[in-house]
Amino acid sequence: MPDAIETAARSALAQVLPQDLPPEAIDPDADLEHLGLTSLNKVLFLTSVCDRVQVGLHHFTEHDLAAMRTLGQVVTALSRHAEVH
Amino acid sequence: MSVVNQVISGPPQPGNRLSVARLGALESWDLTEVWEMSGRVAGHLLDLGVRPGDRIGVLAANSLEWVLLDLAALRIKAVTAGFDPGKFDSAGAELAARYGLAVLFTDQHETAERVRPITELRGLAPAKAELPTVRWEPGEAPALKFTSGSSGPAKSLLASAGSIDSSLAAVQEIFAHGPGDDLFVFLPLSLLQQRYWVYSALVFGHDITISTYEAAFTTLRTTRPTVVMGVPGFYETVRAHMQAGAARTGASPADLATEVFGDRIRYLWTGSAPANPATLRYFTDAGLPIFEGYGLNETCIVTKNHPGGHRPGSVGRVLPGKEVLIDADGVIHVRSEHPVATRYEHAEAGDSEKMFRPGGVVRTGDVGHLDEDGYLFVHGRADDVIVLENGKKIVVRRIEERLKTHPAIEDCVVTNPSQRQLVAIVSPSTYPMDTALVAAALQEANAALDHDEQLAKAVLAERFTIDNGLLSSQFKPRRKEIEARYRGLVVDPEEGIRA
Repeated sequence: MPDAIETAARSALAQVLPQDLPPEAIDPDADLEHLGLTSLNKVLFLTSVCDRVQVGLHHFTEHDLAAMRTLGQVVTALSRHAEVH
Repeated sequence: MSVVNQVISGPPQPGNRLSVARLGALESWDLTEVWEMSGRVAGHLLDLGVRPGDRIGVLAANSLEWVLLDLAALRIKAVTAGFDPGKFDSAGAELAARYGLAVLFTDQHETAERVRPITELRGLAPAKAELPTVRWEPGEAPALKFTSGSSGPAKSLLASAGSIDSSLAAVQEIFAHGPGDDLFVFLPLSLLQQRYWVYSALVFGHDITISTYEAAFTTLRTTRPTVVMGVPGFYETVRAHMQAGAARTGASPADLATEVFGDRIRYLWTGSAPANPATLRYFTDAGLPIFEGYGLNETCIVTKNHPGGHRPGSVGRVLPGKEVLIDADGVIHVRSEHPVATRYEHAEAGDSEKMFRPGGVVRTGDVGHLDEDGYLFVHGRADDVIVLENGKKIVVRRIEERLKTHPAIEDCVVTNPSQRQLVAIVSPSTYPMDTALVAAALQEANAALDHDEQLAKAVLAERFTIDNGLLSSQFKPRRKEIEARYRGLVVDPEEGIRA
C-alpha cells in the first residue's frame, strides 16, 4: 500500500507544482514550500491524494497538515491510516 | 431598523443553521442556538470587565467560538479586532498591548495577562443577569480592521456600523440571500467582510457554513452550498485543478465543477483583487455564474456585478449609498453616505491624508471609467500609470493582462526603466521556463497593443509568491519589490528575452 500511496502522491503533487517535474523526479525530502507549493495548492494536493488512495482527510487535523512539509512526510502520514483500514 | 441593530435586537427565526467545519469535524447549530450561546459569551465578557467601547481581540482560525465572540461583542457594544494567525506572527500579549485590547482570545496555546484560550467559551453557563439593551449608531465602530494593501506594514481602521449596514443592505437587494441559501465562508473571520455573512444569515434567514482554510475543499462538496465567498487566488487555483482534472480524466468542466463545489451553486462571489477575465469566463462556461465587484477596506463594497446587472470586464454598477467620482487623471474616488472611516487608527504619518478626503470621500488610487450605463471598469493603479517621454500615459495593467492571457506567463509586472521602452518582469507558468514560449507571448501581446504600449523585452523572475515577498496577501504582485529585485536585469541591455 505505501508504494501505491507514494505513486499517487507523486502524481498529485506533480500536477500542482509550478515547474514541470516528472513525478518520479520529486525529491521526497524537499520542502514543499521550496518546491513552490502555495498553501492553497498544498490543501488541494492533500485533498486530491487522499481521494485517490481513499484515506479520509478527516483523519488529520489542521495542525497535522501544517506538519507535513515534505512528500515523504505526506506518504508516511497517509500510510499510517491506510494500514489501519 | 439597521441590519446591525436587527442582529442584536433578539433571537432570529428558527430553521436556519450555522455549520462549522474543521478537518475531521462538522458541527451544526440552529441560528437560535447560536444566538443563545452568544448571549452566554456576552455575559462572560461582562464578567471579565469588558465594557462598551472596549476592544476584544480574536487570534484564531475560523470556529464557532469566533462567531460567538463577534456576536457577543456586538451585543455589549465592544469592538472586535480580528487577527489571522497566518498573518500575524506576534504573540497575543504583544497584540493586546499594541492595539489596546481589553482581552484577546486565542487558539494558539498562549496564556498571558489579557490573553485567554478561546476554548473557555464553550459550555459557559447562562449569563447571570440580563444583557443591557444596546443600539449601534451609524458613526460608531463595532470593528477594528486591518489592511495590508499592496505593500508596507498593516494599517488599521475602525469600521463604522453605518458602513456595515449600508453594504449588507445593498448586497441583499441585489442577491436576495434567503431561505434555501447556504453561504460558504472559508476565508478568515478576521476579515470583517467574512463576518457580514453571519449577520446576513441571522437577519435575512439563510444557512451559513464556515470552514477552516484546510477543510475548504472537503467541506464544499459535502455541504453543497449555494454561494461561495472567494477571492481571485482561490478561483485561479481551482481552475488550474479543474483543467488538470479534465486533461487527466476527460471529464467536462461542468462535471468537475460539481465535483469541487457540489451541485447547488447559485453563484460564486469574487472580490478583494482583480480577477483574471479568463478565469471568470471558465467558471461561467462551466455553468457557475461568478460575479466580480470592487471595493477597498477603506470603502467597503462599492460596485458589484450580480444576476440582474452584469457586464463582463466591468466590476459592476455602483451600489446604493455610494458614489463614484472620476477625477481629471482618471483616478477613482468613492463618496459614501456612511463612510467606513475618516482616518486610519494605526498607519505611517501622512497615510490617512493620502487616502481619506473631506466629505466622506476616499481616493482609491485606482484608475478607471464608468460606461454609459454606469458600469465601472478598473484599469489599474494610478501609481501604475507610466508617462513616456512623449507624454503618452500608459496604464500598465492593460498590458500585463494581455501578456497574462498567454499560457506561458503566470504573472508579470511591466516597468519602464528609461521612459522610452517598456519591460515585462515575468513569472513564468512552468519551470524550467521555455524562452521561446516567452518570446512568443511577447510577440502576441505586442501585436494586440498600441505602438507606445509595446514591450521591448521580458526578463525572467522567480515565481511570484507570498512567501518570497513578491505577492501581497491579496495575491497582488508587489510592484515596488519586484522592480527593486530585478532592476539589474531590467536595465542591462544584454539581459532579457526580446520579441
